[in-house]
Amino acid sequence: MNDSTFPDFDTMTPADFEKYLPDFFANGDGHVSTDPRLQTFLRNNPDCAALVRDLEAIADQARSLFEPTEPSDAVWTGIQDKLKHQEPEDDDLIRRPQTI
Amino acid sequence: MDVQGLQMTQNSPAPGVYKRNPPIAGEAEAIEAAKNGDAEAFSRLYALHKRRVYTLCLRMLGNVSEAEDMTQEAFLHLFRKIGSFRGESAFSTWLHRLTVNLVLMHLRKKGLNLVSLEETINPSEDDAPKRDFGSRDLQLTGSVDRVALERAVASLPPGYRMVFVLHDVEGFEHNEIATMLECSTGNSKSQLHKARLKLRELLRQPDEQSAQPAGFNEVAV
Repeated sequence: MNDSTFPDFDTMTPADFEKYLPDFFANGDGHVSTDPRLQTFLRNNPDCAALVRDLEAIADQARSLFEPTEPSDAVWTGIQDKLKHQEPEDDDLIRRPQTI
Repeated sequence: MDVQGLQMTQNSPAPGVYKRNPPIAGEAEAIEAAKNGDAEAFSRLYALHKRRVYTLCLRMLGNVSEAEDMTQEAFLHLFRKIGSFRGESAFSTWLHRLTVNLVLMHLRKKGLNLVSLEETINPSEDDAPKRDFGSRDLQLTGSVDRVALERAVASLPPGYRMVFVLHDVEGFEHNEIATMLECSTGNSKSQLHKARLKLRELLRQPDEQSAQPAGFNEVAV
């Protein structure tokens, strides 16, 4: 989506803004609050600016959920058990480990 | 195991994933040994990648028990298919894609038709985010508490959670998500936006134990 498909940035209504917000986020670096085209609108519509800041805070913090978590030992035990007892499938491409 | 829909060929790595998946020392040797059925090499590969695979499953499924089951399935599948890994992309990227596909297949088996997100896994009216900007006097904007966000993500409807995790947590682009979920790019954007709105709503709900909002911390400026 390019600028020609958006409403006029300075005269759009909060409803217009809400409609196009997913595209504003998808374009650029995902930070709507720093988009120079939207500065006037956000200054004049503090509720919209607050919404944008909240959504950006959520997206930013989401990256911290990437930090890995340890599975329980039962997972590896289950894998070992299944490898010992499962029949090889027809499309198996490797020699199955016999003793893990 | 039914592997229909699994993309075991080595597609171009997802940019977000590849950046986070640099080569690991000793991994290449372990892969080659594992291809020949070396049990110790399998064990090493599990040790190297278990946390990453489990975390992905946990975020996508929002449930510890299911996530552990899917982690087990992912490694069993890996052990069977490792011979098809040709090293054209990072092993961790390949394993990541394998895991995403297994989880998606699992969700489809559970009855979640991810083909048409709008029609089939859109949440009910109760689950959908409310269409309001929020009142300014609440002044909720600030940093988001990680634990509260984790809890909120786990409580999202599956369709919202899937797109949010793939985009905001895992770093996939909308066009990649659209391919994985067999939906349009616009649909992916829309689902992500609704997911964030729903999370905002969940994080703004007052904690029963205190008068403070559950997830947003005030930031002194």
